[in-house]
Amino acid sequence: MSQQAVSARKRQMFSWGLALALSAGLSLASAQRESTLVIGGDFSDLITLDPGASYEFSGSLVAGNLYDTLVIYEGNDLKTLKPRLASSWTVTPTASGSRITFKLRDAKFSTGRTVTAADVIYSLTRVIALKTPSSFLLTDVANITAKSLSAPDAKTVVMDIPKTANPNIVLALLTFNVAGVIDSTEAKAHEKAGDFGTAWLKDHSAGSGPFMLNRWDRSAQVALDVNPNAFRKSPNIKRVILRYMAESAAQQSSLNSGEIDVAWNYTPDAFKAAQSNPKLRALKAETFSLSYLGMNSAKGSPFEDARVREAVRYAIDQDGMIDSLLQGLGRKTQTIVPIGLAGSDPKIYYPYNIARAKELLKAAGKANGFSVDFLVSTGSCSGGVPCQDLAAKVQSDLAKIGIKANIKQMVNSELYTTYRAQKATLIQADWSPDYPDADGNGTPLSDYAAKSLAWRNSWNNAAAGKLAQTAAIESNAAKRLAQYGQLTALLAKDGPFAILYQPYKPIVTQTGIQGFNRNANGDVQFEKISKK
Amino acid sequence: MLTYILRRLALMVLVLWGVTLGAFLISHALPSDPAAAAMGNNAREEQLADFRERNGLNKPLATQYVIYMGQLLRGDMGTSLRTQSGIVSDLRAFFPATLELTLVAVVFALLIGLPLGVIAALWQGRPPDLLARTFALLGGATPVYWLAILALTLFHERLGWLPGPGRLDVYSLPPPTHTGLVLIDSLLAHDTAVFWDGLRHLILPALVLGAYSAALLTRMTRSALLEVLSQDYIRTARSKGLTPSRVLGKHAVRNAALPVLTVLGSLFGSLLTGAVLTETIFSWPGIGGYATTSAISLDFPAVMGVTLIAGLAYSVVNLLVDLAYGFFDPRISFS
Repeated sequence: MSQQAVSARKRQMFSWGLALALSAGLSLASAQRESTLVIGGDFSDLITLDPGASYEFSGSLVAGNLYDTLVIYEGNDLKTLKPRLASSWTVTPTASGSRITFKLRDAKFSTGRTVTAADVIYSLTRVIALKTPSSFLLTDVANITAKSLSAPDAKTVVMDIPKTANPNIVLALLTFNVAGVIDSTEAKAHEKAGDFGTAWLKDHSAGSGPFMLNRWDRSAQVALDVNPNAFRKSPNIKRVILRYMAESAAQQSSLNSGEIDVAWNYTPDAFKAAQSNPKLRALKAETFSLSYLGMNSAKGSPFEDARVREAVRYAIDQDGMIDSLLQGLGRKTQTIVPIGLAGSDPKIYYPYNIARAKELLKAAGKANGFSVDFLVSTGSCSGGVPCQDLAAKVQSDLAKIGIKANIKQMVNSELYTTYRAQKATLIQADWSPDYPDADGNGTPLSDYAAKSLAWRNSWNNAAAGKLAQTAAIESNAAKRLAQYGQLTALLAKDGPFAILYQPYKPIVTQTGIQGFNRNANGDVQFEKISKK
Repeated sequence: MLTYILRRLALMVLVLWGVTLGAFLISHALPSDPAAAAMGNNAREEQLADFRERNGLNKPLATQYVIYMGQLLRGDMGTSLRTQSGIVSDLRAFFPATLELTLVAVVFALLIGLPLGVIAALWQGRPPDLLARTFALLGGATPVYWLAILALTLFHERLGWLPGPGRLDVYSLPPPTHTGLVLIDSLLAHDTAVFWDGLRHLILPALVLGAYSAALLTRMTRSALLEVLSQDYIRTARSKGLTPSRVLGKHAVRNAALPVLTVLGSLFGSLLTGAVLTETIFSWPGIGGYATTSAISLDFPAVMGVTLIAGLAYSVVNLLVDLAYGFFDPRISFS
């Protein structure tokens, strides 16, 4: 073979080698992209990934995939408890209340250690000791202390709860990430000054969920990798990236270019456009939020008379608000328990009726209407609509019956400080229950003694307070439903709220994304998603 | 000169102390409750009381300030009420991203603004001047928000020439952090792929952020140069037979540099602290977003930290600009 032929052969071999290496690299990159789910959204509320301390939507979204709870609601069925780390559980009455006994399944943490009853007890007691923002769910709602918990053996957890707590509500709130089980050995190894490892768990993970934390680059992205030890296997998605994108415009641009698979925060207008785009799938995810007007019923307030509050409810054009402003991203409801929770009431008590509203105002001695300050957030309201747009619609509706609402925009911190001090005469606000149970709204919105929304609106109705307290601890499902029926009807007639709508959360995905579901609690099970 | 620098540094300490006092008083004068802001709408009254107690918000204002200053002197800027992280670690995480973006934006502004200004002055009243002035007008009048969305839609989404939001591609692993500047850290890690990825991600946001500055520099350079070009000594230089390039390079540009330098100094400071819109649209994890979120959520220690860093940046840039005056104009002495 001549020297030239040898050189040509070498060049050819090199070219083949280069092509092979490049194609191998490209197919590796392609495989990586196919098994990586990228979600673009506003995750600026993410403060910590410690399941016991996180109390924000983004934190719960991530923690729900890093950690397991004893029991869980699967998918959109938020009424039927399913086993998770507990393979079974029993509720038995005791002299002081009730006892819930959990039997644990075989499970391992991402660290390789076995999940034991001691881990469960450590996880719950550390939350109580740390007084985290969500600890009140265990201490004030479940009424448990460290002494309420015991572990007869490595696979059994016993929880004693007093009569003041309803075991069904306790089980419901144990589905929340506050009860996520962490590897106690790992947490203890990283404890600093008695912090139960919370500083370390802020940006590390030690759970048994289907994913584990790879890294969290603050305000940039969170990367989760599949947990090889998990019993909830993720067959398709091996990595999930939550990419910070605060702006809907950035999300649209990145979704259209294929850079992200899921957009988490579309505006109603952008969502409407996505609905007619064949390359995208637009999902209206349910929520338990309620957007409402709060009317302060204190003595001397224009809303002191229940007929004025009713007049406002008749004057609000909910259909116009949902169709035009929210582009369909809301549901019409008028009672305090959101649609989807046992105890909600679909009845429309107040069909839009200006004439009836005026009659009620006249009967209350305010035929000429009145002027009132209307406190509104400067930000975005639920459903993705700017609060000022929503306020303008309310203002226009109220003007038709002679009520002059003077819009005063405030940042949330100032708005809620004013509201908490009972100084908001008329306010536009949102509320989401802390746990998926009618009591999550029943107590705060009805019971003045709870010092929550009823109190902030100076609405003190003894019957409503008593009903809320009774329904909260009622264990008979049928009786409980009847009690919430009474409570919601009472609030609809006399209460200090005018419900505006129950929003949907707009989510847009590429059409190749299968199995993506966000339930009304805000949970997404990443392991059930596949990407084509 | 050393005495001058030391005197300025001493003055800087006084200015920064004033900044801390002003920021502290203003942020505590707001009629809002930081505990309610940090704990959220659903939080119970007992939780708020516990939060106030834990974070020392119940103490008298003067005591809180003394505690803060004591911590500050030990190099501790306190803990964020919102994130419960140390402010120093927060600033270390967010400031380098903004610094990198601002530096590149200033480089773009200089590369565009200075030549355009010179061209406009040399061809005054002719088509190149008209084009430069049109650019200056548009660059100054176009809202950053609109320009950012336009750039993203056109160059990323439609044409696919440049990457979308963020500092790096979704699939790029950030280099180990040394300086926090992706370009520097990737070079230190000998990772050229990440370096190019970081550089490509910088182009759009830096161009958008630098557009206004480029427009302003164009106008400033043009007007400063026109004024210098009409001076007697320029006429003398020309009559001595110096070439136009020598007249421009040796006599005109150097004398026109002082006002441009002044503007550049204040532009750098304002870009460093005013990049919030660009950062928001381009999902840039910088100090702008951190400052906004902290201010909205009444996170006083974080607001104080950002204000202090901004004050420091302004002071340092001003000092450097003042020192640079001496280089351009030897008549200026630092006595």
